[in-house]
Formats: sequence, structure tokens, C-alpha cells
Amino acid sequence: MATREPKIIALVCNWCTYTAADLAGTSRLIYPANVRMVRFMCTGMIDVKYIIKAFLEGADGVFVGGCHPGDCHYINGNVKAERRISGLQVLLEQFGIDPKRFTLKWIGASEGPEFQRNMQEFTRTIAELGPQIESDMMIL
Amino acid sequence: MIVEFENTLNTPDAVRAFLKRLLDDALADAVLTAFASPHSPLPMPTLMIDSQLLDRAVPLAPAAPLNTARMAARVLSKDIGKRIAVVLRPCEIRALIEMEKLSQCTLDPAILISMDCFGRMENDRYLELAATQDDPESAFYATPDLQEAVCPSCRACLRFIPENVDVTLCLAGQSDKKGVTLVSGSLKGEKVLKKLGGTSTDLPLGRQADIDRIMARRQTHREEMTTGAAARMADMAVFQQTIANCLNCYNCRVACPVCYCKECVFVTDVFAHRPEILMGRAMKKGAVKIPTDTTMFHLTRMAHIAHACVGCGQCSSVCPSSIPVADLFITVSEKVQEHYGYIPGQDPQRPWPFLVVETDKQVE
Ligand code: SF4
Ligand code: SF4
Ligand code: FES
Repeated sequence: MATREPKIIALVCNWCTYTAADLAGTSRLIYPANVRMVRFMCTGMIDVKYIIKAFLEGADGVFVGGCHPGDCHYINGNVKAERRISGLQVLLEQFGIDPKRFTLKWIGASEGPEFQRNMQEFTRTIAELGPQIESDMMIL
Repeated sequence: MIVEFENTLNTPDAVRAFLKRLLDDALADAVLTAFASPHSPLPMPTLMIDSQLLDRAVPLAPAAPLNTARMAARVLSKDIGKRIAVVLRPCEIRALIEMEKLSQCTLDPAILISMDCFGRMENDRYLELAATQDDPESAFYATPDLQEAVCPSCRACLRFIPENVDVTLCLAGQSDKKGVTLVSGSLKGEKVLKKLGGTSTDLPLGRQADIDRIMARRQTHREEMTTGAAARMADMAVFQQTIANCLNCYNCRVACPVCYCKECVFVTDVFAHRPEILMGRAMKKGAVKIPTDTTMFHLTRMAHIAHACVGCGQCSSVCPSSIPVADLFITVSEKVQEHYGYIPGQDPQRPWPFLVVETDKQVE
């Protein structure tokens, strides 16, 4: 089990989930400090290599947050991201990375509490799964 | 339409005669096929206009120093009003179809010709064979033992019967017969065969039985391959061992027909780390291996193209460190392709799964 706090990378869309995080902040909603956020202009531009990189650099979980279907500012980047990420889950599972370690959620700009709840839940899931890879032994 | 062609010649000669007829009767303006130059028996993809030279073509030689689809895509990168007959293995046809989807070529001017594929040998093995045999092409088809000496991905390939071609050269069940049976797979192919005017016939009698026999053997090999490969990447720690000797030369990427990006991110400045970055990484762990990002490269390449891997095995063949790259790719891609319900080279109309947007999810 975890001897250290889980490290979570959240890759979030500028227009929705990031704004929701902002709202959570201004509403003084507390979410786990395990989450480190990276802002993208759209989930559609999150290439799989960012997720792979996060895992190889020692992330225990990767969270991707985007606009609800129909709300993407670039028409359909979010549903493309969903397809891409679903395939990555199948791929990484074969390398022993539990698909539960990365997830994609739709969180709209006004959903501050929703953002908080997701961060809490995901952090709990990752804490239960324990640390991912001992990155010390990785050649990278 | 099924035509029996030149049933007095042995099969490779009949195929050469067929290709010559394409040029002589102006059914095609050029033929792209394997050709052994005077300088080496190893056949190279060659664009041929002079039908005399086709005498030295070896379209059925069990060698393929590169995935010829890549070369075919150069000739077919645009339609210049010339009809090009291209002779490719089934995996190369699959690759070419994927490349057309990616706007790398147009198949309008192409006459796609393929064969029941018995596999290809690695280059050194083929050169060994060619050193002891005057006619390695015929020797290969006459000797079942040699057919076992093909590369691992061919031994494990289940899609060795051409799909989506204009003309199929039937080779299965052909070993003791003369001539070659040609089957059209499209209107374009049918027109060619009609003009050729051979005798109309049925599929060779023993073909299906032979296909079944090959399939059964290959299924066994495939099972062995995928079980072995799965164990070599079961977790990150064993995967580190599997790729420990990788040099980051990226030969595997260059050889891969579906790794089509003109500028791969791994050869851009993104991965040409500045000394500060290298020092920073070294500081984090006490040391950093250079070249860096080896695991990153392999996982990313898989994530980018596993759904389109045609199983040609070229990535393994070109690896200087003998890493079974294709075994890994083929194993991973089985799962990924199943996930997307996407079979590369099967349906020319079907877009890449990443580009499909379920309409009910799209904005009105
Ligand atoms: S990954 Fe390897 S086996 Fe698959 S298409 Fe590319 S070169 Fe061929
Ligand atoms: S060809 Fe082999 S050594 Fe070169 S990058 Fe690919 S796996 Fe590594
Ligand atoms: S703009 Fe938010 S997911 Fe595309």
C-alpha cells in the first residue's frame, strides 16, 4: 500500500473543467492537494503522449476533464479525446497499468462542486490502488 | 472472374508472363514489382516500363527488404494519368489502403495485384538461399521446409489471402501445378482479365484445403507469439528488460508503413533536450540514460498506430538490437483493434477510429 501520497495529474480543458476548478477555488471548496493541474485549450489537443509521460514520470493517476458533449468550443474535440483515451486504456492495461488509473470526465464551467467531488473520488480511487510504478527503476 | 493463365509455364514464369502482358497489351503503363538487380539477388521494389526487363523480376520471391507499400505510395502520391500495376503482399496492400485513408496516395491509377502469401524471409536468410539456389523463387514454393523459414510475423500472419485487390494470384494449392490462376476482385480487375483472354475456370481445387492447412499452422504460431510477447510487457519492469537494448535509432518507425508522419515528434526539438533538461533529469534520479525517452517512444508509437498495424513485421526486421518490436505491436494491436472494431486494410471507406465522431454526441 501507499507509503507516499498519491500523485495525480489532471489535464483539463481551459473552457470548462479549468473554469470549474477556478469556481471551486473562489467558492472555497477544498479538494485534495494531490492533484496537479495542467491546462489545455481543449481535451481534443491532449495527445496520448502527455498521459504516457505523466505515468512514466511517476504519476499514480491521470485525470482528464473536458466540456460536456455538445459544449466543446472546437465542436467535437472532447468526443475525439474520449475515443483516443479509451484505446489508450486498452493499451496501457497490457503493460500492467490499471485502466482505473486514468479517467475522462465531463465537468462544465459552472460545476464547481462537481469538480470537487470528482477530485475527491479520483484521489480516493488512486490511493486505494497504491503507487503505480517505481519510477526509480525505469530507463525512461 | 477467374482465369487460368499460361498453364504450360511454371508458376513464377506464368506470373512474369502476366505482368509482361500488362505492359505489352498496354493494360498498364508501368509495373511496380520486386526486381533483382545485376548487383544483388535481394529484390528491390522497382518501377518497370520495359517489359523485357520483367524477365528478371521476382514478384513471388520470399523477400521484402522493405514494406513496398511505402514505395508504392511514392509512385501513387498523385494521379499523373498513368496506370500503375503494383504487385504487393497482402500486408502491403493493407498498408497502402491505410495510407490512402491518410491522404498519402491515391489508388485510382493503381491496379492492385497481390498473391496468397507464404511469407517473406529476413534478408540474410534469403541471401543465403540465393547463394545456393539458381532459382530461389521456385525453390521456396517447392520446399515446405523453406516455407517455415520465413520471419516470425509472417509465421503468425492470419491475413495472408489478399483483400481489396483488383487481381489475386492464387498460389495456395498450386505447388505441383503449372501456370497461375488469376481472380479479379473488382471491375477494374475484371476488365484486365477479360482483355487478357485466358480460359475461364474455377478456383484451383486444392486451394481451400491448402489455405486451411496454412491457417492452422499459423494460428499455433500466432498463439505462441502473442503469449510470449504479452509476457515481455506484462508490467513496466519486464518491459524495461524487453527494450533495454533499444538505441532509439527509430529504424522501426521509419520502416513502418503506417507510421506516416512526415515529421515524427521524436526527431523534433521536443526530444532534443537541452543540457539544462538533461541535468535536471539526472538530478531527479541521480543519473539519466542518453538517449532518453526510450519507453516513452515505444508506448507513444503504439498508442498512435496500434489500431492501424498491419502486422508486416518490418519493425522487427530492421532493429539493430534484435528487439521483437513486431511481436509486441502485433500483440498489442490485436486488443486495440478489437476495442475499436477496426481492422486495418479491410474497408477502404472506413475512417481511422480517432476521427470517428458519434453523431449523437456532436453539437447540433
Ligand atoms: S508496427 Fe511493425 S508490424 Fe505493425 S505495421 Fe508497423 S512495421 Fe509493420
Ligand atoms: S529499431 Fe530497435 S533499436 Fe531502433 S528504435 Fe526501434 S526498437 Fe529501438
Ligand atoms: S473546448 Fe473543452 S473539451 Fe474541447
